[in-house]
Amino acid sequence: MKSLPTYTPGQLIAFEKEIEAVFLAGKIRAPVHFSGGNEQQLIDIFSDIKPEDWVLSTWRSHYHALLKGVDPTWLRQEIIQGRSMYVHSKEHRFLTSSIAGGILPIGLGLAQALEWKNRPDHVWCFVGDMTARMGILHECLSYAEGHGMPLTVVIEDNGLSTNTPTGKTWGSWDAASVHEGRLKTINTYIMYYRYERTMPHVGAGQWVDFEPVGLV
Amino acid sequence: MKMLEKLSALEDAMNMLSSNARVIFVGQNVVYPGAATFKALAGVPEAQRVEFPVAEDMQMGFCIGLSLLGYIPVCIYPRFDFLVLAMNQLVNHLDKLRTASQDAWKPGVIIRTRVGAKRPLDAGPQHTQDHTVALCSMFQSVKVVSIYSDYQAFATYSGALDRAERGYSSVVVEAM
Repeated sequence: MKSLPTYTPGQLIAFEKEIEAVFLAGKIRAPVHFSGGNEQQLIDIFSDIKPEDWVLSTWRSHYHALLKGVDPTWLRQEIIQGRSMYVHSKEHRFLTSSIAGGILPIGLGLAQALEWKNRPDHVWCFVGDMTARMGILHECLSYAEGHGMPLTVVIEDNGLSTNTPTGKTWGSWDAASVHEGRLKTINTYIMYYRYERTMPHVGAGQWVDFEPVGLV
Repeated sequence: MKMLEKLSALEDAMNMLSSNARVIFVGQNVVYPGAATFKALAGVPEAQRVEFPVAEDMQMGFCIGLSLLGYIPVCIYPRFDFLVLAMNQLVNHLDKLRTASQDAWKPGVIIRTRVGAKRPLDAGPQHTQDHTVALCSMFQSVKVVSIYSDYQAFATYSGALDRAERGYSSVVVEAM
């Protein structure tokens, strides 16, 4: 496998801005969850990720896909064709789920298989701060840690789940301190970073006029 | 006598599955006794068994991950009532990964479950349900097959193995 490509924060932002323009023109007939605000953190994390590793992501996966080596032209086309939430590449060992926490047990099974096959590859699962509180994360981390599996969960904390403040729903007003104080140190299978998102949960924050389907 | 015949038919089916080196049995009471699904595994080598914690949805996703790297997991839930707790990975992931990924991923998993018996002991409403019809209505690619008599066991599991090798999954409901 070729080495992973390197991107600057500006190049990642430019990719999303180009997609945003297409989206605002009404040319994409599906939800798009833009990335933004976490460019440098992801560039740093991906410097530790090997081409042979597996990367599992969510409905917001454009940056992860680019940094894992997915061809930007192909990715752009996938997004325009309405598959922003379903970016998958077997060639690049890149898999997503649009269900919160959905990738975690799949990643666990991949990690188990890699271990049984004595392969040196690693599994990286990128999740948000709400998923970090879900039971499935704690089950998977318990199993991965207990069996010494090659799995790392990267928690990307922007404090929000769609637009709901994660910490507030769980009874803590300060999500960042809870995560930094607890999750960051819970075990070596977790990486954590905090960021402020620069884009809405979904869409680009503006109304989009779509041409009625079937009318000329 | 009838119970012995049933066990023998299922045991033959499990032995047939285990003769494929890619097959791994995953679930509760796979290594340790305690459920009715255990005894049919008597002839399955220990190396092909993974005793799993009670984490039903995680178990299903774990099996999906194994299948993506070439294994054929037989994902065992001792009762249909317990399989209900794995619906997210079963319906949203195992069943949808092919279409969501445009066939990039082709997970082939065999799910083995059984409808809890009501005779001679009735285990009540949380241990004896048969949700086959509801399950069928939720699937696009996963096939559900019920076994109602002993002689169906071998052929049904053979069919499920064939589907798994082609990257399709099956739920086999033992309802004898």
